[in-house]
Amino acid sequence: MIGNTTQQQQSGVGESRSFTYLGPNTASLDVKMNGNVVMADATNIRSWYFGNGFNDDRTVPSPLIEAIEGESVRVTLDSMLPHTIHFHGLDVDQANDGVPSTSGYVSFMPAMGGFGRVEGDTHLGTPFEYTFVAPHAGTYMYHCHVDTVIHLEMGMIGTVIVRPPGGSATQAWSGGPTYDKEFVWHLHTFDSSWHGFGPIVSGPTTTLRHRPDYFMINGRDGVNTLNDPTTAIRGIPDGGRVLIRATNIGYQPALVQLGGLMFDVIASDGRPLVAPLTTDQQLVAPGERYDLLLTVPAATDKLATVDYYDIRLASVLGTATTEISSDVPIFEDGFESGDTSMWSSTTP
Amino acid sequence: MEFCVVLAEADMNRRDFLKAGLGGAAAFSLPVLPRLRTEQGLGTTFDIDLIAEAVSKPMIDGVSVPVWQLRNPAGAGPGDLASGLMAQEGDQFNITLQNDLDRAINFVIPGALAGTPQVEAGNSLLYSFPAPAAGSYFYTDAINGEIGRAMGLAGPLVIMPEDGSSSLYPGGPTFDRQYTVALSELDDRLNQQVAGGGSYDMQNYEPNYFFANGLSFPETAGDSDTLIASTQGEDVAIRLINAGAITNPMHFHGYHVQVATRNRIPETQVVEKDTTLVRVGDCVDVIVPINQAGAYPLHTHYVPGTTANGVYVNPYGGALLVMSAT
Repeated sequence: MIGNTTQQQQSGVGESRSFTYLGPNTASLDVKMNGNVVMADATNIRSWYFGNGFNDDRTVPSPLIEAIEGESVRVTLDSMLPHTIHFHGLDVDQANDGVPSTSGYVSFMPAMGGFGRVEGDTHLGTPFEYTFVAPHAGTYMYHCHVDTVIHLEMGMIGTVIVRPPGGSATQAWSGGPTYDKEFVWHLHTFDSSWHGFGPIVSGPTTTLRHRPDYFMINGRDGVNTLNDPTTAIRGIPDGGRVLIRATNIGYQPALVQLGGLMFDVIASDGRPLVAPLTTDQQLVAPGERYDLLLTVPAATDKLATVDYYDIRLASVLGTATTEISSDVPIFEDGFESGDTSMWSSTTP
Repeated sequence: MEFCVVLAEADMNRRDFLKAGLGGAAAFSLPVLPRLRTEQGLGTTFDIDLIAEAVSKPMIDGVSVPVWQLRNPAGAGPGDLASGLMAQEGDQFNITLQNDLDRAINFVIPGALAGTPQVEAGNSLLYSFPAPAAGSYFYTDAINGEIGRAMGLAGPLVIMPEDGSSSLYPGGPTFDRQYTVALSELDDRLNQQVAGGGSYDMQNYEPNYFFANGLSFPETAGDSDTLIASTQGEDVAIRLINAGAITNPMHFHGYHVQVATRNRIPETQVVEKDTTLVRVGDCVDVIVPINQAGAYPLHTHYVPGTTANGVYVNPYGGALLVMSAT
C-alpha cells in the first residue's frame, strides 16, 4: 500500500487514507511563514507551517508523515529563521528532540534579533536531518518547539502515523484491529489576535492570554469542516470500519462525540489500551491522541462534534462539526470525496 | 540486598523533597523527617504549625504579586505553595492552623479529610487526623473554593505505605526514586482583587503565571527537588498533584510513562501514555522507566502554561521541568 514516492494522495473511498502523506520513513520539510488560512467567515488568518514544495494540500495542519515500526526515519528540516521539529510521543533521543534549550535549533544564522527566544541555545545550522527509529505503531504528532506557545498557534503542527511492520494502512498495529478507512482529526483552535504580521515573538503584548475564536478540525472551521473530505465520514458501506485518529495540538481540551454512535477507543498516545473502551464520547486533552474505531451502521446520518472547552473544563468555547453519513458523498460542486482537487491550497 | 540500597536512595530523595518543599531554595525540616528514615509501622504523632498569611511573591519576570500561603514556621519555603508534608500510614497529624488572612479558612485534604470547622480570621484551630491511606494528596482550604487555591492555599501531602516499601501503595508499583510535582498557577488580576479584600468571578480566570512546586522555569531546573534527576535503568515515580484551578495535560519528552494511579485508584485502562491529563484537584502518580539518558522536558501541553506573563521559556517561563538522566 505504501509506495516510494514522496507524495501520495487518496484516490477514492476504497483507499484507506484521506490526506496528503509523506513517506514512508523519509520526509523533507521547509518552513513556510506566508501561509493563509481562509476561515468559513472569509477571514484570512496568517499561518506558519511545514511545507514540502508546491504540492501542499493545505497549510494547516502540515503534511502527514508516515513511518513503519522498527524502521529508521529521516526527516530533513530547512529553515531560514529559528525553528525545530519535536516528534511528539516518539520518544526520540535528546539530539533529535527539537527543544532548543536541550537539543538546539535549526536556522541559517544564529539567533537573529530575538526571534524564537533561542539566545544561548545550540545553533544547528540548516538543513538539519532528524533521525530516529519509529517506535510502536500508532498515532503521534510533530510540531515546532521554538517559542512554542506562538509557533504551535501559528500552525507548525502535523501528524505522524507509524504503521505496523510491513506497512499496512488498514491495521492499527501488528495483531491489532483492522479498518477500511482512516481519518486523522487534527484538533486545534486559532486566537486570531495572535496572528499578526512580522516575526512574532511570545510576550505580554502578543501571547498573554489565549482566547480562541476559530474552532477547527484539520484547519477547517464552520461549514468548511462539515464539507471537508478529510473530516467528513461519508460513503462507508454498511458495517464498514473507520479508524479516527483524534490528535489534539491545540490549547483547549476537546470532547469528541460521533453523533451518539458508540465506538471503541483502541489506543492512546501510540499504545493500545489494556482493553478497548466502548463509549460515545472521548475527551482529548492538548498533547493527547486517541484512536477511535467506529463501525458505521446502515443508513447512518449523524453530525460528529468536537467541543472545545476552556482550560478549567467549565464551559464550551466553540464546536467543530462534521458529518458521518452512509450516503455516497456529493459535494455542492459535484465532486466526490475522493477528488483531491477539492483540497486546493490556500497558500498564495 | 539490592533492595536496601535502593530504599536508601529513595529515602534520600524524600529527605531532599522535605528539605526544600515547594517553596524552593530555603532549607527547612519537618518533624516527619526522622520518621521516614527509621522504624516502620509504628504510629507516630506529628505536631505541625501552619500559618495562613498574605505575602508578596516575586514572579520570575520581576513582577511582585500578592499571594496567600500556608507557611510552616519550622522552616517553610517562600513559595506560594506551602511546605510539603510526608508521613506513613498509621501516623497521626496534629496541625495547628493560625489564620492571619482577612477571612475564614479551614484545613481539608480532598479525598481524605472534609467538612472540617473553619478558623476565623485572627484565630487558630487544631486539626487532628490520622494519616490517610498511602498515596498522593494535597491539603488546602475549602471555605473559599477555587479562590483559595488560586491564591496559593495548598501544599502536597504524601503518605507512604505502612510496610516501609518504596512503592506507591502496599503491593503497588515500586520505584527507585520519587519526585513530587505540585502544579499551580495564578491570574494576577484575581490576586489584586482578592488582596484588596474582594472576590473574583472564576469565569474570568485566565492565569498568566504557572508553577511546578511553586517555581517557574528555569528555577525548576535549578532546584534539586524539582529537577527530575535519575540514572538510566531506574524507575522514577512522579506524583503529579494539581493544586491549582486549571486542567493540565502533562507531556513527557523522551519517555512513555506508566500511569499507576489517579486519585489513589489504580489505572487499569489507559496506562501507557506520553501525555496524561491531571484535572483540577487530581493526583496522578506515574512511573517513568528511564530507558534512555539525556535531558528531556516535562511540561503541561496547555502550552500557555509554560509561559510567564506570555513569555515562553527563554529567558524564563512557567510550568516546564527538566528530567535529566545519566
